[in-house]
Amino acid sequence: MALQRTKALPLAHLRSAGGGICCMRRWAHRTHLAGWLLALAAGACRSSADRRSTPDGSGALSVVDDAGRAVVLAAPARRIVSLAPSITELLFAIGAGDRVVGRTTWCKYPPAATAVPSVGDGLDPNVEAIAAQRPDLVVLYRSALTESATGRLAALGIPTLVLRHDRLLDVGRTARLLGRLTGQSSAGDSLARLIDSTLAVPPPATIPRPRLAFVVWDNPPMTIGGGSFLDELVGLAGGENVFHDIRSASATVSLETIAVRDPDWILILTDSAPGPPAWSTRAEWRVVRAARARHFLYLPAELFGQPSPRTPEAVATLRRLLEAAR
Amino acid sequence: MDGVLILDVTDVTFRYPKASRDALRGVSCAVRSGELVAVLGPNGSGKTTLVRVALGASPPHAGTARILGRPAHTWSRRELARVVGVVTQHEDNLFPQRVRETVLLGRYARLSSWGAERVEDHAAVTRALERCDVDALADRWLWTLSGGEYQRVRIARALAQEPRLLVLDEPTASLDVRHEMELFELVRALVEREGLAAVVVTHDVNLAARFADRIVLLSDGVVAAAGSPEEVLRHDVAASVFDWPLAVSSFDGRPQITPLRRPS
Amino acid sequence: MKWLALVGGLVAVLLAAVVLGPAAVPLRELTHSPIVWQLRVPRALLGLLVGGSLGVAGASLQSLVRNPLADPFLLGLSGGAGLGAVTAIALHLPGSWALPLAAFVGALGALGLVFRLGLVGGAELDPRILLLGGVAVGAFCAAVTTAIVSLAEASELRNAFLWLWGGLSGASWDTVRVLLVYLPLPLLVLFGAARPLDLLVLGEEQARHLGADVAVVKRRVYLAASFLTAAAVATAGVVGFVGLIVPHLARSLWGGRHRSLLPASFLAGGALLVAADTLARVAVAPRELPVGVVTALVGVPLFVLLLRRWTAY
Repeated sequence: MALQRTKALPLAHLRSAGGGICCMRRWAHRTHLAGWLLALAAGACRSSADRRSTPDGSGALSVVDDAGRAVVLAAPARRIVSLAPSITELLFAIGAGDRVVGRTTWCKYPPAATAVPSVGDGLDPNVEAIAAQRPDLVVLYRSALTESATGRLAALGIPTLVLRHDRLLDVGRTARLLGRLTGQSSAGDSLARLIDSTLAVPPPATIPRPRLAFVVWDNPPMTIGGGSFLDELVGLAGGENVFHDIRSASATVSLETIAVRDPDWILILTDSAPGPPAWSTRAEWRVVRAARARHFLYLPAELFGQPSPRTPEAVATLRRLLEAAR
Repeated sequence: MDGVLILDVTDVTFRYPKASRDALRGVSCAVRSGELVAVLGPNGSGKTTLVRVALGASPPHAGTARILGRPAHTWSRRELARVVGVVTQHEDNLFPQRVRETVLLGRYARLSSWGAERVEDHAAVTRALERCDVDALADRWLWTLSGGEYQRVRIARALAQEPRLLVLDEPTASLDVRHEMELFELVRALVEREGLAAVVVTHDVNLAARFADRIVLLSDGVVAAAGSPEEVLRHDVAASVFDWPLAVSSFDGRPQITPLRRPS
Repeated sequence: MKWLALVGGLVAVLLAAVVLGPAAVPLRELTHSPIVWQLRVPRALLGLLVGGSLGVAGASLQSLVRNPLADPFLLGLSGGAGLGAVTAIALHLPGSWALPLAAFVGALGALGLVFRLGLVGGAELDPRILLLGGVAVGAFCAAVTTAIVSLAEASELRNAFLWLWGGLSGASWDTVRVLLVYLPLPLLVLFGAARPLDLLVLGEEQARHLGADVAVVKRRVYLAASFLTAAAVATAGVVGFVGLIVPHLARSLWGGRHRSLLPASFLAGGALLVAADTLARVAVAPRELPVGVVTALVGVPLFVLLLRRWTAY
């Protein structure tokens, strides 16, 4: 889920000398959610497919994945290749980490995962490298590129599971699903219960709720909308995303819109040491009160990048930051 | 009575860079006001090269090329455009233009970068249009003109420069009989009535013979013959230069060449 | 009179850009609102300057390379700018002006390369070499940029492409001031080359015979147009179609004489970009469209209308 290669905006100005540049695909690092908006795929799809797993008498496991496909395994998966960091994390969290034989270069958590061989960046799956690990299950994040990969893997006789988790609710569901397929049902279920219960805790009722806005990029200004799990996190932490009304996961907005909606705090996802971003000193940003007053909250990108088993920790962190900010 | 010496090419030798042979060797040519000089010769004989060297576009390796007494290559482009009007072989108008506009471009050398066109510029344009008999076409788009009309417009543009010398490079190459004759009559009239000097590079030997005062016949970079049409277009010289059996006859007091057919 | 209509249209468009926007600013608060004065007015002015520069550069280049399809971004500049921007991010250059400056330097680098190519073998800026060289250099820069982006880890690198599409979001009075100092010289050089450009349209040889110092003019026009484009890309990213279409629009109304064509292209280009930007800000509020999308959506139908006029002759 975390990595997502997205298509260039419709105006591929193919004639411009850069030629290639404008046709480049946008990359969204898992810590950088900007790509989500650009996705023609992001946000909108929410699969309501019924995911049941029915162990039948022969011990075979059959589930329906997020692409609506039926996935049948004769026995719990023993050699799994995971093509998304959040999935790797989940597998380790439910105790199936020893069965992970392939990961992407982005899968760095937990630290034990880095010992697993990498099969590439996972955005455009390298089928050869994956097949070289002789997996009996490949788990992919659902996107246009991975669709072709599932076909090619199927041609090689390798079962694939396509998942999509963009929302907090998905974490528990995915944990249960992976638990069943790896024979770690109880671990999967209890992790799911833990996450769901944490998410069910009502947010602190501070009146008024702090108004927040994410600024993922400055030129053009990009923010996170109501369609994303970050928005959910903000809600759980007791804050209010001023761009909650925007349906997609991320969106470009005018600077003046940010100024007029006047968030109290600006949330920045960062990989490195916290500090005011370079653009905050630019003259045009001074119209935004929070930028002028240097009201920035820094969220570790690694923790906040996508829904994961550590999401409860993320919620707690955000609650703490908001408390301290008052 | 001799006119003013405008173009004076003396004994020039010129070779293009990386070429194995000289393009011109010991070529001389003089053009005075009030005379029409035709430059003839087979393809590759050096006609266009002679014009380039004479106008200072390529300095000769030996010999001199002078315009109005000064070495040709010392003239700046702008100064030269006030004295010599050139109509090249090819012109490629990229965007649609009207006749009057294109003739006005001839005034460039007499205008400053920033100043607007003055009354005298528009007057010169009108005069040039009249002399070339294209004033009725002044507001037409160029692309609606016939080949002959278009060439006359280009000559009008050259005249708008108020030059003392006109240089025409193959002006009748794609024109029909009527337009060919009209064009040569026009140039002849300008030379006789206004005392302009004219150099016409052409493939049409017979027209040159009828209209030119003098002919320079080039062959392989050297002057095979120069002088009046009668002196130049003699059977032995012409047949050897053009490398084809010819018959020379006379029309209207001027020699005319008729190429013979090969016996089958 | 055409000029009156053009200037009037420009003023109307500028006013609309200041009055309209996703943030509702009541009319009576217009003169006090920081949103208007710190954001909308500089943004409208930036649109005017960038759009105008692209219009003039496009008109000059079309005449210089004798190709009605020429566009300022065919010279490889946008590729160089992208490479500069990505390098600035990869090296973590400090300062809020690092990106635009690096993009500018990158654009100039690409310019130098193409210019040098154009002079190879005494070619003296042959238009075909300029065009082909521009495409080649642009593609090369784009390839290097992609390589850097795909191999490096920094998440911000992916968004360098977003910046290249940035549009006018980075507008402030500082940006406008910088451009007001920088733009007059290349603009003056181009306006001063109006007459020689008229001649150049006839072909280089004929232009020379009519008195133009062709080599000097070509160099000046190429460099001035490139400097204008480099500044446009550095401040507003790649905004397509303005440099291509505006000259044709202007030509259809003002004819080919550069003395009127160039100023008309400036005003029309500015008006087009400001109008497109206003539409981009307002059409899907609170979200914003990239301005390049709007210029294409608006520009292409206009262009098709023009083509029909041509074929109707």
